[in-house]
Amino acid sequence: MAGRGRGRGRGTLSFSTESLGFGRGEALPTCILQPPPIYPTLEFHPVPLLGGERQAYMLALKQEFRNTMRESPHFIQAEEKKKDIERYSDKYQLGPQDNTINWEPDFSRLPKELRIKVRRSARKYKTNVKPNISTAKHKGAEDAKDIEKKLEALEKLEETKGDEEEDEEDKEKKKEGEDKGEEEPEEEDFYDEEELEEETDYNLNYFDNGEEIDEEDDNLDEGAIY
Amino acid sequence: MATNIKDEPMEVEQVEARILELCLGSVKGVTDQQLQTLIPNISPTQRVTAVNKLLQNGKIDLMKSGSQLVYKVKDPDSTSKVKGGDNQEKLVYQIIEESGNKGIWIRDIRWKSNLLLTQVNKILKSLESKKLIKAVKSVAASKKKVYMLFNLEPDRSVTGGAWYSDQDFEAEFVDILNQQCFKFLEQRLELAADMNVDPAARMNKAYATSLDITKYISELGISKVELSVEDIETILNTLIYDGKVEHTIMATATGQKKLYRAMRQITQSTGLMRTPCGVCPVFKDCKEGGIVSPSTCVYMKDWLDINF
Amino acid sequence: MSKLEIEISSLLLKEHFGDIVQKVGTVLLRKRQLPLGVIGKECGLKIDQVKKGLCSLIQHNMVTFELHKRGFVEYEIRTGVPLLLLRYPRYIYASKTLYGDAAELIIEEILHHGQINMSSVVDKVTNRLNEAMKVQKEAAISKDDVVSKFKALAETQFIKRCPEMSDSNENDSAIPKMEIDTERMYKVPRLNDAQIKSERENSSSQSNERKRKIPKDRSKSPEPPDAGIYWHLNFQRFHTLFRDQELISAVANKLDKEASEVLRSMLRIDVSDPASPVSQPLSSHEIYHQFPKNIKLTKQAMDQYLTLLTEDSTGFVRRVGDMGGGTYVIDYKDALKNLAVAHIECVVRERFGSKSLRIFRLLLMKKQLEQKQIEEFALIPAKEAKEMLYKMFEEDFVTVTEVSKTADHAPSRTFYLFSVNITQVSRKLLDQSFQALCRLIQRREYETKEHRRLLDKQQKVEAISASLTGADEEQRAEIEDTITPPEREQIDKVKNMTKKLEMSELQVDETIFILQMYLLYAKTT
Repeated sequence: MAGRGRGRGRGTLSFSTESLGFGRGEALPTCILQPPPIYPTLEFHPVPLLGGERQAYMLALKQEFRNTMRESPHFIQAEEKKKDIERYSDKYQLGPQDNTINWEPDFSRLPKELRIKVRRSARKYKTNVKPNISTAKHKGAEDAKDIEKKLEALEKLEETKGDEEEDEEDKEKKKEGEDKGEEEPEEEDFYDEEELEEETDYNLNYFDNGEEIDEEDDNLDEGAIY
Repeated sequence: MATNIKDEPMEVEQVEARILELCLGSVKGVTDQQLQTLIPNISPTQRVTAVNKLLQNGKIDLMKSGSQLVYKVKDPDSTSKVKGGDNQEKLVYQIIEESGNKGIWIRDIRWKSNLLLTQVNKILKSLESKKLIKAVKSVAASKKKVYMLFNLEPDRSVTGGAWYSDQDFEAEFVDILNQQCFKFLEQRLELAADMNVDPAARMNKAYATSLDITKYISELGISKVELSVEDIETILNTLIYDGKVEHTIMATATGQKKLYRAMRQITQSTGLMRTPCGVCPVFKDCKEGGIVSPSTCVYMKDWLDINF
Repeated sequence: MSKLEIEISSLLLKEHFGDIVQKVGTVLLRKRQLPLGVIGKECGLKIDQVKKGLCSLIQHNMVTFELHKRGFVEYEIRTGVPLLLLRYPRYIYASKTLYGDAAELIIEEILHHGQINMSSVVDKVTNRLNEAMKVQKEAAISKDDVVSKFKALAETQFIKRCPEMSDSNENDSAIPKMEIDTERMYKVPRLNDAQIKSERENSSSQSNERKRKIPKDRSKSPEPPDAGIYWHLNFQRFHTLFRDQELISAVANKLDKEASEVLRSMLRIDVSDPASPVSQPLSSHEIYHQFPKNIKLTKQAMDQYLTLLTEDSTGFVRRVGDMGGGTYVIDYKDALKNLAVAHIECVVRERFGSKSLRIFRLLLMKKQLEQKQIEEFALIPAKEAKEMLYKMFEEDFVTVTEVSKTADHAPSRTFYLFSVNITQVSRKLLDQSFQALCRLIQRREYETKEHRRLLDKQQKVEAISASLTGADEEQRAEIEDTITPPEREQIDKVKNMTKKLEMSELQVDETIFILQMYLLYAKTT
């Protein structure tokens, strides 16, 4: 009865605004005529991060751990290296590595099917990771000269950003090439179990490209340490 | 008694008196039907004559109660006040009077009196100008007015108590009191912490009664009105809800005492809220590759630009 | 496991183990259990790559294997473990605070290797410590010191032995049988008959007999005395430690240092199962006996603290009896709930403001309230209160129950009762914390990628510069000058951003830890 006339005077609305929680006579929100900003102004701001020795130490541990793991043979990247820049260590690259493992797991503790050729130089590693990577390796002055040249090239590359697209294309091409390679049968890739049992040791030189280079050097440019 | 007078025909005056008596005996009023059964030995004509006479003289009123009409005794006081007013005015006055110090909305007056809005408005204006009633803004809804008799002190539910001035909630006043009460308790806590006493005593020294706090506030002179202990307790309760104060009840010889104590926090902040994501208003829309994304986030950028 | 948790695990795996391990791990996280060939197909990797990936994952205790009854091997991921990578710094730091630098390095080495022999850990840690000592020109540390820290970590069950090859292994079986019983799990093998002694023998030529037993003629390094015995971390033990640390610091904040020491003593003597919602009953006498002597506190004062703890709103401690000068329990379940509530309250305050927190806490205390009652109790003007309430409702911090007087649920005849469901809010916030974490890592990846060239360059320059120890200063300066001042500035900025983001990741994980712990205890009865 009384409800019928309630909406009167409000004009356009066919329902009572009170049912929406607005009091009688209370101003209704105005119409929104434009989309909200993508990032509206913050009403509240984040509180400061905790400081102090504990936090600083844990941060250092975190960064160090992350970087150490990058140097670990347990860190496994796909073979296709991004050739965005020519790396000074490229000349040490040992060819396809996807089918060998850079460390020597305790295969007796693993399913037989996981047995994979151990890279020769990985013998030195056993299950060990080089703990502290920050110590730089000694290099001859010759190497340093070489590096200087590379650095110059690197700088040039930086300046000419337009090269990037080309790089992308290059990568694509490389990838294609690799995909093809993948299809080729590589029988010798598989771990020979019989041989394994005879030897009772995994010291098998499946892989030897004649170069004996310290493992650490290979990984030096795996990524920046920061 | 009824048997004695059963056979004798009653005089009109007697009938009037009897009806008045019955009406006086019932707050809710008496229906015509009830009059018939309670005074059986009179004719309907006699009854109508007597009722009319009483109505005319302003001794009783005809009111609506639910779907029925009832006769009610008229307040002698009110009869005099609205003298000269018409019956509609009397009716509205009565409705307002009944509402006591809680007041009544105009909508309910209309509903009860069955009058048109324009009529009610006119009557209310007239009554207001005669200073018989007043309009009071209710705190229940900002635009809502309630009417009550002029000389009444509005109920707390209408005024909102000490925290309302002119029916406006004094949020700032409440905030100041909230802060001052906390300051008082916080100082207590700090003083107690430095005391060279055993741990239990140190904790107990930090407590203050609501009376202590009321006195302190009144001495500060920040309130124009006198604040009661109950008023201060409602403020102290907000501090409890704020998580800044805890309270306990202590039994004393005279009854119970409410004790309050400032409280230290378990934790100051939490990790999530130290990142922009914790306060992000577009959190739900954020997706790598989307319009809002971690790599393009401006909140993140601003935050990262500040050295830490 | 939620999609989000898989996403973060995947990011973490990539960061710590490279993209191959990431792919293998992520497929397993999605499908949980798969044979080798299927993993390869699912991630589009060569089978040898998958094998390498699995070797890393198994080595780091993230994947287990099982022989399916049809004869093939199935690999299963331990779902929660990759996420723990984020917590590794905290495990390392905790060990440092407990047992010092040697323990720190022990835990770090174990985490680097996933599983490792005690003898190799001891060697590595001793060397690392001594390298540092040399730099600081301090006396060398003996292996025995490191061994004793290792033993301490094992005795307190922070590290445990991995399952070992069982004697009943058959040669032709597809998978090795491995087992470990609880008795041996924390037992440290004797190393002294081999390496450790052998070092001493070099200086003092005693017990030549033993020396002879060591095969010297092999070109490879000799078999360690503890071959086949590998160690890894007991994460649960660390989590119990973190839980205790959280409780102790909460009490220190809320009451005072001494009160927190009383709680610490209680936690120290409680040997109840970590999953139990309450501790064993602890008597006042026992607690006092455990109390560190360097903190002067009378028995009477300590009893007062116990009373204060039982009366406190933290609700960590309850009195359960009068034996032994009063018997108390620690209520872990309640404690974790109150701890979670405290963190949730921080979120409410920082996200909605302190008035909204008042409403939120009011609802927590009064269970269920109507809007009108909320305004009255909280002394907040109707309009404001309404806005706050609905904002919190929108973000699921507050729930509404409709109680209708009539069957038609007409709004005018319906009560709306507001309340707070802490479990629900915790789940929501846990999810948001994971999301925040994910975004922090993504942002970091983005910043690193954006400045990759510059960072690479700088790293190379640093490496060269460091290698030029013999060379003259001029040459070195020349090398270092290849990085221009604006570049250097940019590098510093990126490094600073990385630090800030990583610091946040660690701190968000602390919120995650509390919420996870609470939700874990909420399930116990």
